[in-house]
Amino acid sequence: MIDLLLNALSDIASVKTILLLVLGVMFGLVFGVIPGLGGTTALAILMPLTFGMTAIDAFAMSGGIMGAVAMGGAISAILLNTPGTAPNAATTLDGYPLAKQGRAAEAIGAAATASPLGGLFGVITLLMVLPVAKQLVLLFGPPEFFLLAVFGLVTIALSDSTNLLRGLVSAGVGLMLAFVGYDTVTGGERFTYGSDYLFDGIPLVPALVGLFGVTEMIHLSITGGTVAGDASAVRIHGVMKGIKATLKNWRIVIRGSLTGTIIGSIPGVGGTVATFIAYSTTKRADADPESFGTGRIEGVIAPESANNAKDSGALLPTIAFGIPGSAEMAVFLGILVLHGMQPGPTMLLNNEREIYVLIIALTLSAVFSAIIGIALVKWLAMITLVRGQILAPLVIAVSLVGTYAINSRPGDVVIAAILGMVGYLMLRFNYPRLPLVIALVLGETAERGFLQSMMISQGSWGIFISSVTSIIMVLLILITLGWSFIPGILKSRRAAKAKSD
Amino acid sequence: MKKLILVLSIIGALMGCSGPSSDTFPNRDIEIIIPYNAGGGFDVYARSLAQYMERYLPEEINILPINMPGAGGRRGASHVYRADPDGYTIGIFNMPGILLPQIQGVKINYDVNQLSWLSTLSIDGYGIIVDDESPINSVEDIKNMGRPVVYGATGPSSTSYIATTIVSTALEIPYKVITGYKGSGEYILGVIRGDVDAAFANYSTIQPYLESGDIKLAAVIGVDSDDPNIMDANDLGVPDLSNIKIVRMMAGPPGMPEDIRSTLEQAMLSALDDQDFKAWLDATGNDVYPANAVDTKTAVDEMSSFYDKFKEFLD
Repeated sequence: MIDLLLNALSDIASVKTILLLVLGVMFGLVFGVIPGLGGTTALAILMPLTFGMTAIDAFAMSGGIMGAVAMGGAISAILLNTPGTAPNAATTLDGYPLAKQGRAAEAIGAAATASPLGGLFGVITLLMVLPVAKQLVLLFGPPEFFLLAVFGLVTIALSDSTNLLRGLVSAGVGLMLAFVGYDTVTGGERFTYGSDYLFDGIPLVPALVGLFGVTEMIHLSITGGTVAGDASAVRIHGVMKGIKATLKNWRIVIRGSLTGTIIGSIPGVGGTVATFIAYSTTKRADADPESFGTGRIEGVIAPESANNAKDSGALLPTIAFGIPGSAEMAVFLGILVLHGMQPGPTMLLNNEREIYVLIIALTLSAVFSAIIGIALVKWLAMITLVRGQILAPLVIAVSLVGTYAINSRPGDVVIAAILGMVGYLMLRFNYPRLPLVIALVLGETAERGFLQSMMISQGSWGIFISSVTSIIMVLLILITLGWSFIPGILKSRRAAKAKSD
Repeated sequence: MKKLILVLSIIGALMGCSGPSSDTFPNRDIEIIIPYNAGGGFDVYARSLAQYMERYLPEEINILPINMPGAGGRRGASHVYRADPDGYTIGIFNMPGILLPQIQGVKINYDVNQLSWLSTLSIDGYGIIVDDESPINSVEDIKNMGRPVVYGATGPSSTSYIATTIVSTALEIPYKVITGYKGSGEYILGVIRGDVDAAFANYSTIQPYLESGDIKLAAVIGVDSDDPNIMDANDLGVPDLSNIKIVRMMAGPPGMPEDIRSTLEQAMLSALDDQDFKAWLDATGNDVYPANAVDTKTAVDEMSSFYDKFKEFLD
């Protein structure tokens, strides 16, 4: 394996290939920063350009893009409360409060350290499990998909104990939105009102742009002022502090990247859920969970280390069976075919060289983009000092254009605008927005997994404890539930006891 | 003012010598609408072909592949249907993918029989696949399972689901379908994992899985079998089922002028015969099955009447 990696490294180590990789990194960073656009769009746009390249060059550039979008997206999440790409949504929770306190540079420094470290751990994990990739992918069938979605939903439900009911309302709305569109199990159309647009359901990225980007800008315009309330408090020299904080919290980095790799490997669930679960497990394991959401640096480190690791996870089903683990991987497989290769279970045999080139490119890209991010921190942090009157129209315009650019569908812009207003009302009345997003992602997986399991087992619930994987998942769900309720019950008992004494 | 005139005249001169003359077709870029996402099988096929088609057009213009995913291909079909029939907007379509909703009476904004059909690119059949270690080796084995066979498929209006129901009914196989898989890759995994007994998957898609030994074939439909152990529609005694296949066809909006139509048709047929394109097809396991505009239109009509016969299964 080491010689394969070295071979791949020597494939990349030409001036032209490295330049193309850096070009990919730049492209990925810009597409990551702009809300709406992301790695998938960047790859699709650059796809025709790869015609004239050698396959190795094309893969180096693709890896450059995929490895860099996470960093770009984290920058907008921290500075503008607008996740640049969907998986950055969890980063807004503590990243933006940090920016508001003038600690944007520290947060970006932490993200820029957590990203490449997470990416590196992800790659190491991937290389270790590669020999058993097939068996791992086969561990997940419809019952496991359902349980995983339930686990995700339970995690959101309990993520904010001070706001439990409001979180559940938000998740309920998210589930409702998730069920709009064509139902692939029954073939029925739900809540589409005969519209071809709604047939495909409520798309995630425009919803995110609305709920976070548009909402935040409405909020900023109404309250006036700048993102960082107090200009004199803005410290642009906090980068080192952020880097040190990440290195000190290496446990969080490892846990985050493991979460990212595992959940990233499950098609259809992917990055958004991975980063969120990394965030909430870190929060729960912390001595002071209540302080999360007010600007804890750990709240940036956990999701961002999961974010780059998820690409390694997404490579697992891609390599094992030629089935893309994420939308980005789907476009990457297309680039592979354009270069005369055939995706499928024989890929690891026939295209070993190209796969290792991609792995190396992903890793290098995470490092390059982090360096660029750190180098630009000073200027980036200034954004938090731009007045709302100037910032809001710019960000809204760029976000909506980005949303339209994904698929040139006017409906996407309408969704972003409507959810932007809904998001503002939620913010105003103190309803958390992330549960809505996670439920929107998981709703379909949960429903599909449940119905398929029931059809397979002919209505027997036993199917949900019929494999080792599913038993582990059930236990995880029970432990998560117990973890949050038992301390509360014990406390009230103790209180009751104290009273009776 | 003098400078402005100079600049304008330079621009004019540049425009005059660089662009093709305006009265011949084509004098600007042609858009190929791909009704699916970037990176998919259709997308890649269209992009690859577009490069080679450029070689065979009378003027040097670009052919731009445009992804227009949505509503299972219906959005792209509607877009092409509504476009001006000037030859600058054409589409690559999955048949019977865009035909089935029309036969099922779904509200659509196009009419397959009115499109200006240009050419056929490739034809793909189905393989009935089972897990490598499955005791099933033939349709006979499926019938003798002692219980209905369980298939995996995508949504109930998908081409794979409809192929599954029509073939099973015609062969009198008792069956059940687990729907909801997202794409063929997922239900092929479902077969390997044992969620389901079998599935209908595109013949070209399954080649790498057959090669790796993860799955095996119980029968093929829509392609001729050259393996004596694997039966095709003729061997099974229902030759009519050979109509069940996935065909990639090119079409433009209704009412396209004859000269434009024939320029495009010739360029496509020449591209399909291009040595470089054929080399790419070989390397990627893609197939080519060229047919001209007249034969393509005939095939569309035949397909329409075939699925009309099975209308009752298409709900």
